[in-house]
Amino acid sequence: MDLTPLLTSDQIITYALNGFSNGMILFLVASGLTLIFGLIGLINFTHGAMVALGGYLTLVFVGVTGSFWLSLVAAIVVVSVFGLLLERTILHHLYEEPLLGFLATFGIHLVVEELLSFRFGDQSRSLTAPFPGSMDLLGVAYPKHRLLIIAIGFAVALVIGLVLTRTRLGLEIHATAIQPDTAEILGVNSRKVYTLTFVLGTALAALAGGLVGPITSITPGMGTSYMVQAFLVIIVGGMGSFKGSFVVSIIVGQITAFGWLILAPTYVELTVFVAAMAFILYKPRGFFGKPEVFE
Amino acid sequence: MSQRSAGLRAYVSESYRWLWVAFGVAVLVLPAVGTNYFVGVFTQALIYGLLAISLDIALGYTGLLSLAPAAFFGIGAYSVAKVVVDWGVSYWLGFPLAVVVAAVVAVAIGYGPIKRRIGEVYFVLFTLAFGVLAHDATYVATSLTGGSNGLGYFSPPSMLGVDLGGTVPYYYVTVLVVGALGIGLYALLRSDYGSVLHATRQNELRMRYLGYDTDREKLVAWVLSAVTSALAGALFVGTVGLAAPSMMSFELSGEVIIWTVVGGTGTFVGPFIAAIVLHIVNNYLGNVWPEGYLIVLGVLFVGFVFLLPEGVMGAIRNRLR
Repeated sequence: MDLTPLLTSDQIITYALNGFSNGMILFLVASGLTLIFGLIGLINFTHGAMVALGGYLTLVFVGVTGSFWLSLVAAIVVVSVFGLLLERTILHHLYEEPLLGFLATFGIHLVVEELLSFRFGDQSRSLTAPFPGSMDLLGVAYPKHRLLIIAIGFAVALVIGLVLTRTRLGLEIHATAIQPDTAEILGVNSRKVYTLTFVLGTALAALAGGLVGPITSITPGMGTSYMVQAFLVIIVGGMGSFKGSFVVSIIVGQITAFGWLILAPTYVELTVFVAAMAFILYKPRGFFGKPEVFE
Repeated sequence: MSQRSAGLRAYVSESYRWLWVAFGVAVLVLPAVGTNYFVGVFTQALIYGLLAISLDIALGYTGLLSLAPAAFFGIGAYSVAKVVVDWGVSYWLGFPLAVVVAAVVAVAIGYGPIKRRIGEVYFVLFTLAFGVLAHDATYVATSLTGGSNGLGYFSPPSMLGVDLGGTVPYYYVTVLVVGALGIGLYALLRSDYGSVLHATRQNELRMRYLGYDTDREKLVAWVLSAVTSALAGALFVGTVGLAAPSMMSFELSGEVIIWTVVGGTGTFVGPFIAAIVLHIVNNYLGNVWPEGYLIVLGVLFVGFVFLLPEGVMGAIRNRLR
């Protein structure tokens, strides 16, 4: 009997790397979302618009400066300032009212997305990768830009993980998430902590939007699909759990990368959604969520 | 002073009644004065008004923000299309089918979250997942839904010698159904049941102490909302003759939420009127400045959430109080 393996080892490596690179983009989106949700309790629907804005601004700045990295940094800075202004002018008034907060961010999301489609049109754009071509890794040729995304994803996870666990700011974020009043009494400027977290989350969304440009297309609605997936990731990973968003993003990335071998891609997505609904019902704090972070 | 304000209030609610009579007369004579195109637009506007009411039952009366009204709207639309296109039986069988399917799905989706009291934020996310799931499912379940082509084309049948496929006859069918459902639901929510819902939203624990089974009341309201959405969808599909995945889209759900909040959650009339006005604005603004509508709508919406969270109707009522 002739036994041909279902997958060659080259294919397995390629799929796994695809899973990692897609999972890392998802992680960049989801981690910002989970920090904002865990600390503030805000369902931040502007997040998807920030991803798209990051992508388009990178595109625009590349046209001006010609350098991808410079443009990416500039886009992140501009989007962060935009996030700062939003938080300071509108959103911080609505933290006590989760439903109104959601509705306001939903409206802002709509405005930004429509302005983008008004300015740039609905057809998709793409960016050229700063390091084009592929390189040899474990015997397979793999696009350099995707490897870069994996590296940046891990670096971001490491840096923010360290900030959250090893610094004064991380301590203040935890304290504010658990007991804002007590933290305030103990000298934490909770208002500043909220603003910082919101801006940090927004910056991560913009980073994801710019980074993903060379491997997928940039459209006004690109952020929405990432955001919806990211919401499911943070449900399963636990609202407010940074570690959870990292682990579950990679798992979802791998499931989508390998899952289509067994099922059509849409079915894979459906399965993930059903899993998320089951998690909301039976384990609303997810794998890693701590009960104190957000009730 | 208080006498004067009481007089004012009586005067306003009196003129209010006349406003409704005027509105009713205007609706009935519209086909005689309006163009066929406008009658078509107004037919859809009335149906969207009903859809906005359905979300208001969930959000405004019960405090359950659903991100999936479009899913139930789509269930209604697909039920009618399925009955006519694939099964070839009477168009009118689509309506009871829509009600049954929507009720069953609503119980299946709503029972867990409401029974387990997962909280309003998690409910939003739960219905977000359900809405996207339903939208995706229309693309994959091709044997059931026709995939991205949808199910079509067909037109409403003739009845008593009148071809309901025409714009004006179908308009009157819509007026009849929306009017009957609207008045019926209004009466229901003005009754003690509406007060129970309002009280449950405001202080659920207290209502439980008073002996109300709040989970049951919420589930009933949720199913009522879903069934109303489905009936709106079933009516709507007759105006376009095609059930398509876009009827289940998140964009439609978003628009319904905007209508409801701008009109005033929990006011019943507000969302209805807001949906009609905004749909008509959309139609005419869409001809001159296609992207403009959603930008204007978004800005308007943020403004409302921020400055006037109780909506137009809520603000009017507060002023009169």
